[in-house]
Amino acid sequence: MTTATLFILLLLCMIMGMPIAIALGLSSIATILFFSNDSLASIALKLFEATSEHYTLLAIPFFILSSAFLSTGGVAKRLIDFAIDSVGHIRGGLAMASVMACMLFAAVSGSSPATVAAIGTIVIAGMVRAGYPEKFAAGVIANAGTLGILIPPSIVMLVYASATEVSAARMFMAGLIPGLMMGGILMIAIYIVAIVKDLPSQPFPGFKQLAKSGAIAMGGLMLIVIVLGSIYGGIASPTEAAAVAAVYAFLVAVIGYRDIGPMKNEPWRKQGESLPASIGRNTFHTLAAFPRSVVDKEVNRVVLDAAKTSLMLLFIIANAMLFAHVLTTERIPHSIAETIIEWGLPAWGFLIVVNILLLMAGNFMEPSAILLIMAPILFPIATQLGIDPIHLGIIMVVNMEIGMLTPPVGLNLFVTAGITKRSMGWVIKAALPWLSLLLIFLILITYIPQISLFLPEYLDSLRGH
Amino acid sequence: APIEIKFSHVVADNTPKGQMAKKFKELVESRLPGKVEVKVFPNSQLFGDNKVLEAMLLGDVQLAAPSLSKFQKYTKSLQVFDLPFLFADMDAVERFQNGPEGQKLLTSLEKKGLVGLGYLHNGMKQLSSSQPLKVPADASGLKFRIMTSDVLAAQFEALDANPVKKPFSEVFTLLQTKAIDGQENTWSNIYSKKFFEVQEYITESNHGVLDYLVVTSKEFWMTLPDDIRPIIKESLAEAITFGNKIASDKAMSDKQAIIDSRRSKVLTLTDAERQQWVKAMKPVWAKFEDEIGKATIEAAEQSNK
Amino acid sequence: MFGKLISRAEESILCLLLAGMTLLVFVEVIMRFGFNSGILWAEEVTLYIAAWFVLFGASYGIKVGAHIGVDAFLKLLPGKPRKFVAILSVLLCCVYCGLFLYGGWVYLSKMKMIGIEMEDLPIQKWQAMSILFIGFVLLTIRLLQLLWSIITGKQEGFHIVDEAQESMHIARELEEMQAKEAQKSTLNNTNNKPNGGAL
Ligand code: NA
Ligand code: NA
Repeated sequence: MTTATLFILLLLCMIMGMPIAIALGLSSIATILFFSNDSLASIALKLFEATSEHYTLLAIPFFILSSAFLSTGGVAKRLIDFAIDSVGHIRGGLAMASVMACMLFAAVSGSSPATVAAIGTIVIAGMVRAGYPEKFAAGVIANAGTLGILIPPSIVMLVYASATEVSAARMFMAGLIPGLMMGGILMIAIYIVAIVKDLPSQPFPGFKQLAKSGAIAMGGLMLIVIVLGSIYGGIASPTEAAAVAAVYAFLVAVIGYRDIGPMKNEPWRKQGESLPASIGRNTFHTLAAFPRSVVDKEVNRVVLDAAKTSLMLLFIIANAMLFAHVLTTERIPHSIAETIIEWGLPAWGFLIVVNILLLMAGNFMEPSAILLIMAPILFPIATQLGIDPIHLGIIMVVNMEIGMLTPPVGLNLFVTAGITKRSMGWVIKAALPWLSLLLIFLILITYIPQISLFLPEYLDSLRGH
Repeated sequence: APIEIKFSHVVADNTPKGQMAKKFKELVESRLPGKVEVKVFPNSQLFGDNKVLEAMLLGDVQLAAPSLSKFQKYTKSLQVFDLPFLFADMDAVERFQNGPEGQKLLTSLEKKGLVGLGYLHNGMKQLSSSQPLKVPADASGLKFRIMTSDVLAAQFEALDANPVKKPFSEVFTLLQTKAIDGQENTWSNIYSKKFFEVQEYITESNHGVLDYLVVTSKEFWMTLPDDIRPIIKESLAEAITFGNKIASDKAMSDKQAIIDSRRSKVLTLTDAERQQWVKAMKPVWAKFEDEIGKATIEAAEQSNK
Repeated sequence: MFGKLISRAEESILCLLLAGMTLLVFVEVIMRFGFNSGILWAEEVTLYIAAWFVLFGASYGIKVGAHIGVDAFLKLLPGKPRKFVAILSVLLCCVYCGLFLYGGWVYLSKMKMIGIEMEDLPIQKWQAMSILFIGFVLLTIRLLQLLWSIITGKQEGFHIVDEAQESMHIARELEEMQAKEAQKSTLNNTNNKPNGGAL
């Protein structure tokens, strides 16, 4: 009864065209008012907690800010030029390169929406410019972006590891092969579609041009080095690296390339200018650029654009946490799990049920919330049935990837809608064909445990465990 | 309708705290059938440790068991448990908690609307690091993650080390990447949070205690019928004893599991080395003597016998 | 004039909050790595700024149509019923605000009564959390403005910019880009339509 009310209310609110954030929040509060004696004050407390106690979520606004600078600062254009020059001559090459970019980015970020935000803003426009249908581009990126939580590091895997007491290091190792495999599947699919649909390719521009565009794009490429370097070099956590990336992107766009901001179009060296004079002028103007950026119209516009997308996302996430809170308080996931145990299923049947359950939950809830609730419930049943906890973990993560692409709560859909400025319906349609690949991948992961277990077991055997 | 007790905590069901909560539910519901219903919410499902006390004051949670350091803003006197090298072992902690000063501390939250019902053990804290820590000078200049606590910050500053505050969710990654050099925790936390996988060395320092306080709101506690309150209190005491036994067993077995994993090397201190650590950290006591109260610190020292 | 001033103030505050949050985390990293020291209050302040950013920004999001929703069903309806549903949904959003205003008020009053401070700064918690109430007051004001715009027919729903117009905008930008590109590059695109068909 409670469950039905909650979901029907949510559906009604959404159909009426309310902002998704408020639809989630209102249906949650209404359900609490009808069926529980929780106070409205504690709901307000919960919302404040959701906005103020999730440090790792801050990676989202930071990466959005960094990509806002990169995509408006002309950095994106240079990166895309480089990508086209290097792989554009293969059919569907640019789309493949975009998937590769998502995989690289996933290797530095623990979050999927952040991956979509950082890569998508740059490459979707680039693909469109190279002649791909925008729908194709958006769909590829929304899907490839989900690799953010499968390729280590992954926030979601840490949550799973702490909820079930399996080794986080082994979880990370277990995600690597599936992550590379999913990226490969996407690229193969792109190649096939490219042939069938006769998607564009460009003539190879020659190595000289490639080296040139590579050098020009270095400022942007360095961002990956900086993010990777600060995480693996022990300078920063992924959240902090995101903030570093944002500051770096500002420096590249405003001081380095000078496509926007107070130093716009100012040359590094004027004609006939002596070297000391040039160094002096550049130093002085660079120092002056920092205070001038605070009031600069273009810089403000970029920050404000990033702020709009970020606050929209964070407001949805906060309300989605409220929604998960209601599910938990009313013990909705618990009662579902209890029913499953009563059925007495074999391992393969249990895995089917787990997948269906997680896919359904993935429609409505945010990944870490699902994991925190479901992992402790599913884990003991799985152990009894002889399913490896690491394997179960990877199955759950892949389900969470799919959940990010299914409405109404699908973080990657929201981000994609945000950066393409398209409607949700449009984005859902764009992502759908690629989603079927993820579903096939899920079946592979579910029934071939070796894909997940090979690497951690191999590494353990090397260590002599 | 039966009286509803929502017990919200932040760890898994299979931990000592989780087991204690389940035992409490079992005891209360068998002794007060139909009169009291206990609902346990593990894994921060309801509220995290930072907000649970506020939710309790609003009347939406009835029982919780946060770490003692979490009460810093509610009372200064509970900081006594954070003082380094105050207690020799868990027996001493137990004697202090059950003694008159320890029991008096339970009432120190009443001005803020909370009632302490009992202490639950986690265990003695150890130092883990990416570098071997044998003497205090080894820790100098290193970065250690701490929970929010003025005493713990002062403790690491006394070593010339840098206390770093980061949310628990980020700690594993920061340790793995060596952005933070070390942290302090109990054997069971180091094991369950996998810190031993990313920290090469653990020094068996036993330098402090990490315990929990089971609390309820004064408002809820006072409105309980007089025939029910003592039964709940008694059941809770039994559940805590039960949980404490599991905690001490688990501390032993987790320590062994960490040693067996061979992922990190466990260092033990000689008496002389240990004395150096005590000497380096003990000045922290004087710093907090006014806030905590001299009598409380002395009583704690006495419990070492 | 006055409206413009408010608008400018709103935008500046949002930019400051986002930039402040980013810089605070950045400086913390630099301090830790470069100078081997930390800022103990940085984490708590960052998180409070995040809360102010989201709760303050929610109302601005209504004003500029930044919040996303599903308007496909609404678009199927003919004029009058559509207006009716739009009005109803804004009113329901006001109910949402009302519930939070009440809950937030009770919560903040309780925090004020107990009088505890933030963990690392000597600021009363209820003051640091006051955005919980302020934010929903602002959100209510924006919703009422939106309601009036819908009643007077200036707006149809939550999304100010309609989709056709928006895709024109994207198309124009892309055309400009491509025109620039055509001048200097040798690319020979076969399919230039930015909004080209389905997959
Ligand atoms: Na990742
Ligand atoms: Na979803």
